[in-house]
Parts: sequence; structure tokens; C-alpha cells
Amino acid sequence: MKKLLFAALAVALVLAGCGGGGKSDVIKVGWLGALTGDQAVWGENELNTVKMLFEEYNAAGGIEVGGRKYTLEVIGYDNKGDPQESVNVTKRLTGQDKVVAIIGPNSSGNAIPMAPILEKAKVPDIATVATNPKVTVQDGKVKPYNFRVCFIDPYQGAVAAGFAYDRLNARTAAVLYDVGDDYSQGLREFFKVNFEKKGGTIVADESFNSGDVDFRPQLSKIKASNPDVIFMPYFFKEVALSANQARDLGIKATLLGGDGWPSDQLISMGGKAVEGSYFVNHLDYADPAVQDFKTRYKAKYGKETELNGFLAHDAVLLFVEGLKKAGKANGEAIAKALEGIDVQGITGRIHISPETHNPEGKDAAIEKIVDGQYVFQEKYAAQ
Amino acid sequence: MDWTYIQGILMLAGINMIAVLGLSLLTGFTGLFSFGHAGFMAIGAYVGAWISASPTSTPAGLGLPFVLAIVGGGVAAGAVSYFIGRISLNLKGDYFCIATLGFGEAIRLIFNNVNRFGGARGWPGVPGKSTFLAILVADVVAVLFLANLVKSRHGRNMIAVREEELAAQIAGIDVFRYKMLSLIISAVYAGVAGVFFAHYMTFIQPKMFSLTKSTELTIIVIFGGLGSISGSVLGALVLTALPEILRTFEMWRLVFYGAAVILIMVSRPKGLMGGMELTPSGIRKMVAERNALREAKARLLAEAQGGEEE
Amino acid sequence: MVQFLQQLINGLSIGSVYALMAVGYSLVYSIMNFSNFAHGGVIMLGAYFGFFGLTLLKLPFALAFLLASIGTFFVAILVERIAYKPLRERRAPFLYFIISAMGASILLENLVIATIGPTFRTYPEVFSKAPIELGPLAIGRLDLIIFVISAVSLTLLILFIDKTKLGKAIQAASYNVKACALMGVNTDRVILTVFGLGGFLAGIAGVFFGMKYTVYPQIGNITTKSFIAAVFGGLGSLPGAVLGSIILGIIETFVAGYLSSQFRDLIAFVILIAVLVVRPTGIMGKVTEDKA
Repeated sequence: MKKLLFAALAVALVLAGCGGGGKSDVIKVGWLGALTGDQAVWGENELNTVKMLFEEYNAAGGIEVGGRKYTLEVIGYDNKGDPQESVNVTKRLTGQDKVVAIIGPNSSGNAIPMAPILEKAKVPDIATVATNPKVTVQDGKVKPYNFRVCFIDPYQGAVAAGFAYDRLNARTAAVLYDVGDDYSQGLREFFKVNFEKKGGTIVADESFNSGDVDFRPQLSKIKASNPDVIFMPYFFKEVALSANQARDLGIKATLLGGDGWPSDQLISMGGKAVEGSYFVNHLDYADPAVQDFKTRYKAKYGKETELNGFLAHDAVLLFVEGLKKAGKANGEAIAKALEGIDVQGITGRIHISPETHNPEGKDAAIEKIVDGQYVFQEKYAAQ
Repeated sequence: MDWTYIQGILMLAGINMIAVLGLSLLTGFTGLFSFGHAGFMAIGAYVGAWISASPTSTPAGLGLPFVLAIVGGGVAAGAVSYFIGRISLNLKGDYFCIATLGFGEAIRLIFNNVNRFGGARGWPGVPGKSTFLAILVADVVAVLFLANLVKSRHGRNMIAVREEELAAQIAGIDVFRYKMLSLIISAVYAGVAGVFFAHYMTFIQPKMFSLTKSTELTIIVIFGGLGSISGSVLGALVLTALPEILRTFEMWRLVFYGAAVILIMVSRPKGLMGGMELTPSGIRKMVAERNALREAKARLLAEAQGGEEE
Repeated sequence: MVQFLQQLINGLSIGSVYALMAVGYSLVYSIMNFSNFAHGGVIMLGAYFGFFGLTLLKLPFALAFLLASIGTFFVAILVERIAYKPLRERRAPFLYFIISAMGASILLENLVIATIGPTFRTYPEVFSKAPIELGPLAIGRLDLIIFVISAVSLTLLILFIDKTKLGKAIQAASYNVKACALMGVNTDRVILTVFGLGGFLAGIAGVFFGMKYTVYPQIGNITTKSFIAAVFGGLGSLPGAVLGSIILGIIETFVAGYLSSQFRDLIAFVILIAVLVVRPTGIMGKVTEDKA
């Protein structure tokens, strides 16, 4: 066995060594995200998007930086959705692969521990859908190498609460959330605060544990409190399961969710149970600005892009603009260039604030599920 | 290969090593099997983060030196293990196992709900004090302490408990006391590992300390070999690095990992170093035993052949 | 009152899922005296077999169901042959069995991720999912079917163990494997049968789990709960596993419904530990000497 291990080790070292030698006119960009586990659909979608866009840039002759043409190469690694793996991957990307910037990851828990490594290596990271405020700002100080292209949890919670109160005329709301998940706890907190501030009442606040599949005990309790809306800030698998179980129990309340919802699988599994539900999204799928990307993605990969693809698209866009503005393929220069940059992305205008490194003032889109389709309702900005 | 990347992997291996050494005392030398050591790591990580994090950050800490964080994290984990031991150490076999699993999960669930420590959203902004040197020193101290302990009278009593509990009791060894001592020391080790982990990641979340983490630690102990300190050291190094080396294989690496675990159990059940130590005398012993075995085999074979001829 | 009854129904429904999984655990434990953590992985495969039987092969439900159970029957036997038999022959301590089991469970889960993919899949609708409504109460149609088929298969299992010669051998082996071997029983065959039966039950559990919820590679993780339920009822006892599961399901539901859903699992663990301390062999567990 020991011999076998050593053999594997040797092979792996050789393989790793081969990837190292790149040509000088190639700019290497890292990507990390989940390629295995619950959220692999999204990770794969992001990496595919980055690959496709880079190929397109390269086919068009590359990108001119400081008077020279460069081609782009992406090095993507699986972080299994595990923060410890994200740290390893970030060290590998910055240290060994010598990337100039990193795109991803798609969750806050994985983005936060990357910060010290990025700072040391002076490599900027553009997160796709990491929505926790602490990804870019800690204790009132902005993290110099962390950026993102999405809006943040407090904003999303405020949008959901505002929409429920003002547009759906809900006065009572119940919340069901995943107590073991940072994203879910964040949205729940900001929804509750904002809904109560508006004058609404939270009549039930129930939780489950990551990995649970049966929510009927909590839903039965929620049913007894008879809310106007039920806020479900978690991911599509649990959304579909809990929506089905809620309808089985005879709950008629409108269901409301966040950006963890949109997925083909939500419709195929949630079926009738999620009909008429609303969720907060990063963009409107019917927006003319996103159609071109949608068709290109489908033509190349034979399937529809998920939500993450759009944000990965804009992260790439932001990186390329930053690279051009910096005028050299250097992480530190790109990070400087990204501050205050103003780019028209397909998910909206992305103006990176130097104080927060967030795309300030980005609108949220509200979608409704009608006949198994996502139907855009309105752009909604929380006050 | 780049040094910061390798250093990162080595640091992680070093942190795992501390926890594994502790667990090695409990499982390898005392014969108790725990599924809850991630819980002790969590206690160490959170208490350590609380002691050393700056008072102005959110969640706020005490802003005390790192050394105090190490001591505090270790002591806290040890103290909790004492209470757990009082309740569960009388349970046998699988039942002790399931009790530790219950405690480990319970600790994680509690941290999920403690908003003072960030809840499930985690605790960002833990100072990055786990340097390569600090971890190296901690590993050396951990190995030396354990090596001396198992050679002492206390260590021999623990091994006696592992080998034959009833006989040990008849021989006048306070079985419960030695199980407790072993549990507390292993929990302190796990707690200290947790402190280093928190200050390496600079961000902790309860879900980092799940059942999977506990199993991982136990697998490393078994892989390295029960009752061997050098085995635990090697196990921590190899098994922390293995998934990284296999990274190029992405999807398949955990398949190999699972297969390797079975293969080792089936083909070399004592692990890499079961019962052996990589010290000069240990190696001499190993060689001597192997030679004796070969001679005995040859003799038996010769006798058998002789028997047939008659 | 309505809510109380509804929660009781919810609890029974959750408990019956645990029970299907726990029986397999307990069956293997009764002979081998170790917790077969690979059982969760086998259940997960059962869910996938059933799913592909229905969708790819377009089999009628009964056949897909049978395919899944027979498939897991062989998987369980294969796991025994590869991961446990060599240990058995060497009389390795129970620790090694558990570690080997964990290796098998990691292997199975990740093999599915690597080959079939990490995303979850939805069973086609075989039975109408609409619940039966009794006034304000809702009872899942699938729950009733699960209940009936589980009851039938458990009865058959108990009959098999009570009435057949092989079953008697299993009973005898669960008291003392060594003595059994001395009496001329082929213990290897007994053990294979037990694993096969456990695998068969895992297939049933997997298909029902998939139909009731969904199919994904991490299904095995849920079985931690059924393992707890088995301990709760007393490892090694089949009626104990069923009883422990139902009680655990009801306790969980009532804690979530009346106390606090945040602390549901915590309270479940506290009660588990309390039971272990007061009555370490569970509700109906057999008393065994410590083999560790």
C-alpha cells in the first residue's frame, strides 16, 4: 500500500509540475467554487461561463494590456463548498499557479477566509454571489483585495420585506430558515428587522438543520399562526421539499424567497407547490441585455445557464475592464483599478464603491413563478 | 512547487496532527473510540478566538495574547470533556461511540445558536496568529509530552485498560480514572488544535466542526496505526496532503480516499506503524521481530516438510 | 387538538422512515456487534437504482422496486466481502470494522458523485402525492403506502427469522457466533444472509426515501438519525429499532412543534444521552459483553 501511495504521489507531482510552465503572453486567472456537493450545479455553471468568455476573448485576438496582446487562461479548482478547501485552493492559485486575479467563490463562508491570503499575495478576488457584508468589509474597514458583483444580504432582506409589505400587502409573515447556514441566517435576520420596521408582524420564526428533508413539524406550527406570507431564505432543494410539504398540509400562504431559489430543478421538483410564489433575484431573465449571453451559453453547452452564470459573466467583465484600466497584468494594479470602476454589466450597472467594494445601488429584480416560468415583476430598490 | 502553498498544507497537517495525537492517546493507547472530537476542537476554536480577537471587532473578543488563547482553548475543552466523561465513560463499545457522537453534534448545534459568537454566520476577523513556527513548536511539544506520558506508569496503565479492562481492574488499576485522564488529555489536544485552526483560517463557523471532521481525525489515527505516536504523525502528514495531491483528479479523489481506507483496514490493519515507533530502538525492535518471524516460519516449514518425509 | 394530531401524524411519518433504515442497522449489529455505517451508502444506491429503473428503463413501479432491492442486496453482500470479510477472518477489533465501514460509505457516496453527478433528482410521480384529508388533518398517501409495505416486509423478515432453518441459525449466531460455528452452522453463510437481508431492506428504504423526498448522493447522512434511533431502541433488536425510530420521530416532531425548532436536534441528542446513561442498552437491547 505504501508503494502505491508513493506512486500516486509521484504521478500527482509530475502532473502538477506539467501545469506550471506557461507562456509569457498568457494571463492566468483563477476560479474557485463547488464542483461537488449540493451546489455543484452552480459551480459548474460559473466555471463554464468563465471558460466560454475567455475563449471568446482569445478567439478575438486576446486583450490588449499596455500595448501588448494577451490571451486569457482560467485555472479552476473545486472547493467542495468547504472553507478549509477554499483556503488551500487560494494558496495554490496565488502561490503556485501565480494567477493575477481570482473569480468566485459563490458563497460567503468560502469567500471570507480568503482575505488574508489575498492581501499577502496581492491578488484581487471578485466574488460572484457571496452576499454576506463581511466578505468585503470587516469592522468598518474595507478589505483591499475583495470585490463582488452582487448585492448584499441586508439589501436583499430589505427588498423581500419591503416587497412583501408594500406590494403584496402582507401584514403577517412567517420565516422558516436553515439554522446551520450562514446565508439563510443572514437573510432571515434582515427580513425580520425590515418587515417589523415597516409595521408588519413576524408570527412564526422556525428553523431546520442543514441536510433536513422533512419540514412538516415546523410547517404545521406555521400553519397554526396563519401568516400572509412565508419567507423561505434557503436553497432550491429545500425550497422545493418544504413548498411541497406546506401545500400538502393545506397551507395557502404566498411563498417568498431569495436568490437561492432560481434553478430548473426548483420547477421540476416544486411543480404546482411553488406556483404563484415570488423571489428576489439579481436580474430579470427576460431583460434584452441578457438574451445574447443566454443563447451563446446554450449553443455551447446545450443547456440553459443558471443564475450564477450571469454573475460570473459580469465578474469576468469587471476583471477585464480592471485589467485594461490597470494597464499591466499585476494583481495589485488590478485591485487599485477596480476601485471606483463603473461597468455596464448584463445584470445591471456595476459601480464598485471604493469604501465598500460593493456594486452600490444595484437594483434587485422580483420574479414570480407562473405556469412553471419565471415571470419578471419589477425592478425593486429597497429604501 | 510554491512554498506558501506547501507551507499552507504543512500547517494544516500540523494542526490536524495535534488533534490526532490526542485522539491517538484515547483510541490507540486506551482503546476508547470517539466520534465527537470535532466538538472539542470547536470549543478550543471559539474560546481561543474569544480570548485573542480584538475588542473592537464584531463579534468582540478580549484582545489578549495568543499564548493565553492556546491555554484557554485547551483548558476549556478539557473541562467540558470532564463533564462528558463523567456521564459517558461507563458506556461500552458502540454505546460510548454514539454518546460522543451526540455530544459532538450537540456542541456544534449550540454554537449555531449562540449569536454572541456569530452563530451559523461564523466569526470572521480572528487574528492570523498561527504561524508555521508556532505550529511546529506546538507539534514538537505535543509529541514529546505524549511520548513521555505513554512510557510512564500512567501510560502503561492506559495500555493495560486497552488490552484487558477486567484484568486491569483486578490488578488494581482504577480503570475509570485512567479512561478519564486519557479523555481529558485528548480533549485538551483537540482544543489546542482548534485554537490553531481558528487562527489559521481567521474565520470559523460551526459547520467546520461537523461529524465528518471527527471521522476524519479517527481515520487518520487508524491509518497511522493504533498505539504508535510516529504513526499518528505520519498519518496526519500523509492524509492531509493526500486530497491535495489528488486535487488534479477532482471528482475521483474522495473515491480513492475511501478505497484507500478500506484497503488499509483490510490489508494492513495495524495501520502504517501499528505498535511501532520510528526511534532508533523502535526500528531495531521492528527488524528483530521481522527476523524472528522469518526464522520461525522457516523452522515450521522445515518441520512440516520433515514430517511429510517420515 | 388538531395541531396535536397533525404533529402526531408528522412524527409517525418521520419515524417510519427512520424505522426502515434502522432495521437494517440493527439486523447487522445483532450478528456482527458493530455499527455498519456503510448502510447509509447502500440506502442511497437503492434510491438511485429505483430512480433509474423508473426513468431510464421505464419499468413499472413494482419491477423498479424489486430491481432496487435486489441491486442493494448484492451491493451489501459485495461490501461485506470486500470490506469486512478479511477483518472477520482475522478477528479484528470492532474499531476496524467501523473504520472500514466509513471508508465504504465515503467510497459509495463519492462514486455516485463522480459517475452519476452531484445534483439531486426527482422521482416521477408513481402514486398521487395529494394527501388524504380528514377534516383539517392531512395524511400523506405515500406515508400510508410506506407504512403498509414496511409492515409487510418487517413481518416477513420476522417470520423468516422465526420459522426457517437459516433464520434459526441467524438467531443462534446473534447469541454467540463462535459457539454457533462449533455446532456446525456455516456462519459465513449466515453472515452473508444477514447482509443480504439488510441490503434488501436498504433498497426498500432508499426507494421510499427517494419517492417521499428526493434522490441525492448525501442521503447516507440522514441515516445518522436512524442509527441513533437504533441505539435508542437497543442495538441488535429489530422490534427495538422500530420502536426507537417511531419514538425518535415523535419526540423530534413534538420538540419542533411545541418547544423550539432551533433546538430540536439538540434535545434529541440530550434525550439520547439520557437514555444511554439510565439504560445503556436502549429500550429493548440485548445485553452483550464488551467486545472492544
